[in-house]
Amino acid sequence: MSTLLSLKKVNLNYQAGKASIKVLQDITLKTNNKETISIVGESGSGKTSLIMLIGGLEKATSGTIFFQDYEITRLSEDEVSNIRRKHIGIIFQSFYLIPNYTAVENVALTLELNKFNNPQKQAKELLDRFGLKHRFNNLPSQLSGGEQQRVAIARSIALKPELILADEPTGNLDSENSKMIADILFNYVKDEGTSLIMVTHDVKLANRAKRKIKIKDGKIV
Amino acid sequence: MVKLFKSIELSLIIKYALRDLSRNYKKISSIIITLFISLFILSSILTIEDSLKKELNDNAKALLGGDLEIDYNRTKGNQELIKQVTTFATVSQMIEFSTMLSTTGRDNNKSLFTRIKTVDAKYPLYGEVKYKPEGALTRIHQEKNTILVNENIFKTLKLAINDSIKVQNQLFTVVGVISAVPDVSGFVTFGDFAMAGAQTLELLQLNNLGSFLNHEYKVRFNEQDNPNVITARIENLFKGDSKVTLRYPENSASGLKRVINNFSQFLSLVSISAMLIAGIGIANTLLSFINQNNMSIAVQKALGFFSLNIKAIYYLQLLILLLIISIIAYGLSFFLVPIANLYLSQALGLNITAVFSLINFIKIFLVGLLVLVIFSIPTINAIDQVQASNLFRNVFQNVQFYYSKKSIFLSLVLLAVLMLLFTIGSARPAYSIGYFGAFFSCLLIFFLLSKFIIYCLKKLNISSNISLQTSIKNITQAKSITPITIMSLGLGVTLLLTLALVGTNFKREIAKSIPEIAPDYFFLGIQNNDLDIFKSNIIKMDNSVDLEVVPIVSSAIVKINGIDPNSYITASNDSYWVISRERRSSWVDSPPVDNPIIDGTWWDLTKPNRLQISLDAKVAKDLNIKLGDTFTLNIYGREIEGDIVNFRLVNYRDLSINFAMLFNPQYANTIPHEYLATAKFKDVSKFNESAMLELLPSLSIIKIADYLSKVTAILNKVFIAVTLISAITIVIGLIVISSAIIVQGKIKEFQNLVFKILGFSKKEVILSSLIEFVIIFCSVILIAVLFAVIGSRFIMQTIFDLVWKFDVTILFYLASSIGLITLLLIMLTNLKYLNPKVYPLIRNQ
Ligand SMILES: Nc1ncnc2c1ncn2[C@@H]1O[C@H](COP(=O)(O)OP(=O)(O)O)[C@@H](O)[C@H]1O
Ligand SMILES: [Mg+2]
Repeated sequence: MSTLLSLKKVNLNYQAGKASIKVLQDITLKTNNKETISIVGESGSGKTSLIMLIGGLEKATSGTIFFQDYEITRLSEDEVSNIRRKHIGIIFQSFYLIPNYTAVENVALTLELNKFNNPQKQAKELLDRFGLKHRFNNLPSQLSGGEQQRVAIARSIALKPELILADEPTGNLDSENSKMIADILFNYVKDEGTSLIMVTHDVKLANRAKRKIKIKDGKIV
Repeated sequence: MVKLFKSIELSLIIKYALRDLSRNYKKISSIIITLFISLFILSSILTIEDSLKKELNDNAKALLGGDLEIDYNRTKGNQELIKQVTTFATVSQMIEFSTMLSTTGRDNNKSLFTRIKTVDAKYPLYGEVKYKPEGALTRIHQEKNTILVNENIFKTLKLAINDSIKVQNQLFTVVGVISAVPDVSGFVTFGDFAMAGAQTLELLQLNNLGSFLNHEYKVRFNEQDNPNVITARIENLFKGDSKVTLRYPENSASGLKRVINNFSQFLSLVSISAMLIAGIGIANTLLSFINQNNMSIAVQKALGFFSLNIKAIYYLQLLILLLIISIIAYGLSFFLVPIANLYLSQALGLNITAVFSLINFIKIFLVGLLVLVIFSIPTINAIDQVQASNLFRNVFQNVQFYYSKKSIFLSLVLLAVLMLLFTIGSARPAYSIGYFGAFFSCLLIFFLLSKFIIYCLKKLNISSNISLQTSIKNITQAKSITPITIMSLGLGVTLLLTLALVGTNFKREIAKSIPEIAPDYFFLGIQNNDLDIFKSNIIKMDNSVDLEVVPIVSSAIVKINGIDPNSYITASNDSYWVISRERRSSWVDSPPVDNPIIDGTWWDLTKPNRLQISLDAKVAKDLNIKLGDTFTLNIYGREIEGDIVNFRLVNYRDLSINFAMLFNPQYANTIPHEYLATAKFKDVSKFNESAMLELLPSLSIIKIADYLSKVTAILNKVFIAVTLISAITIVIGLIVISSAIIVQGKIKEFQNLVFKILGFSKKEVILSSLIEFVIIFCSVILIAVLFAVIGSRFIMQTIFDLVWKFDVTILFYLASSIGLITLLLIMLTNLKYLNPKVYPLIRNQ
């Protein structure tokens, strides 16, 4: 199996006034293609920070991060944007759909951005696959939380990314909806052979991943 | 390494921009409205100006009365030369003169000082005369003692067709009424006129000067001839004749063109002020718009949009918006042309129709673009502050205006371009620059004022009154709209108050000059041998009359230091009137009291045989004349050389006897001359116009009050128009303020909710916004009044050289009405947030 992601001695400090908080310390991690990983840990332990580093949304204070053969710790913001756009899908706890775009438009956005043919049609197919056939032209405000998260997942996987990052994707949902989202995610990852890194508090959900990483006080334990 | 995309495709950016715009336009409606109003005003000004100029240019020949005009002034001219012209072109002779026109056979006969135009059957060579009834124009050529009068004479003298009127000692039959003549450029714009046949002249005994006699020959070239060749031929023909002035169509209506230029420059400056005030609001609304879209921007960034692309989408939305707005604004301005035409055709006999001009449209679009870009640079740059990582943390901090060194520099450059656009090509660039200087100083001071108020109130520690406390909190809080309110309201109010003060001062000056300085009557055309009769008759009517009689002679400046001034002084020169035609001059033994000498010495009595000239100092400055320069004057066909010996300060506005040139009496008394008189009666009713005309039929009598009331009526109209247009800046200021309040609405709503929870009564909440208003408005008014006083004083005293006085009433009325409207607006916009629904807000927070 080939390596997808490799972190070497990554440190992340936040400056809080004069004091510097060590959020992540000496993180070294290697993941493979098609691997599913769950990250667990107490609140404030640094899980989100780690995801942000991997997604290139935060700059490491020191250490190197390779995504495939891009050394993203050395690239500019725009270059990282470009890699993220094509290879990484991100799912948030609070969904974050663009409020004045319909479900289809939200999904089609990334497809258009990357010059896919027929973005609307592809977006509809994806939404259909997630059981949202009757919600194509609804605005986010007209969708339930579970539906919103399904649209968000559709958006993040529209480009068939090699890696999906999810930060507590079910954190804002009830247990019934949580299960549906988890099913959708894991089924998709299995079908398409995508790699998944997911932060969660939900033990059941965490256990569905092949590999489990626990973080405590900014360190992998 | 895979090659990285630098940016997304333009077509996508356009697509997103259009989509976002079509869904978000309501949120930026205040941008749309303010931009539209200010661009509409600018469009209207440019369109009407252009339509007017086009009308003047299109009708240049009609306005002049021919392809060329040969003007011989008071003399009949060289008939031999004229005859030669008739061999290759059509010539129409026209003689104009001024005289009194009186009703006859009534108990109370009335008379009017009138310009009479005698024309031959070829008149008009271009354009047409509008008159009633049919056939009247032919009658004046065929029947002796017939005359056409203009509508105003017809109304004022209450005439009917076929009435008899008296001109000097002759009776004329009024055969028709003229509503318009094509060659208005020859007429005094506001004067009354009549038209008679060519044979009329022989019937009347016209005196040389008082009648302002003028002989003109209008020439129409033959269709097949090359106009340039014919023009050159005529020029060549008259080359040796110093008494003649040749005029061309392009010079026609130059006075009118100057008025139009000045007026449109002034109005353009008002409109750019409105636009800049709108810009303050645009920046504010745009910032809140970006803050509302904070999350969407973060999502776009997370999905791989570059900051640059997102900014491009926002700029493009503005661009599309601007394009639509400027097209609509420009298009709608065409509808104003017929309305303007209604007034213009009445006042000037011009008929304007809207002209499309691509240059104007581009200029309007460019001005809008510059204002938009200048004010959106710091706002749209704020997009850089939005980070995709916010999405993980679930916090969206509001972005702030962002000024980098580069963006400040760019803004300043664009601002300079904007100012240049309004300065270059304007009638008086220096005024434009001065105006911009004043505008930005005011802006800065109002900005500092807002900071000062915030600073002072922060220092203040009041705990006694809760309403007062919260209102102070509102003014001083970080996101407060105090600076925006103070700047936009301050500028608008300053502009309006300044113009109001200038207006009232002008009106007062004019009204005041009637009883105080100005005489009641001007008398023209008093002949040498009539002088004693005239004097004794006046004194007989009122022996305490204040009578001033001065000799006058007409002269034309043909050379200055040996060079024809028309060859280097253009019509755009302020003192062009001095050299353009014959002017009347006088002479006195000692310097007039109201004409102080500022340079040189009074007459050199040792040189009685040399003409010495005292010149108006302003004219000297405009024409660049130094003491000791020589003028060659044409006086009754004789060329006489004279030296400039001193400069006087002349104030033409006091309506007493004022001349640009005065001569030394020793020399001038030898020239044949007439007299001009002014009279101020103890009791005006004692003067009997008709009796005077019985005695001296060729005398011309001008009643100052009539003349002044005409000027006042026109000024009043202009004043109303100017006030209306400048009120636009207030309207825009108010829109800016209300949009700022709405932008602040969410905060207000939450705040009012907290008040509600804390147990505030509605009354206390209202009271606090009232106090807030009073603090802000009072300080704005105080500063605005101060600026208005300084500004209007400068305009009255420095630019117009008139007396300035403070007028409390107008300031009070204006300030209180603006205050009331502002208060009403603030209350109305706040009312929405007065009844917050507790539940949804708590859930959201
Ligand atoms: N911008 C920031 N500035 C300072 N400290 C931060 C910032 N963001 C996060 N932190 C701190 O970093 C630590 C890790 O945060 P996070 O990665 O969000 O933890 P988790 O997702 O595991 O709950 C926390 O202690 C948090 O307080
Ligand atoms: Mg977290």
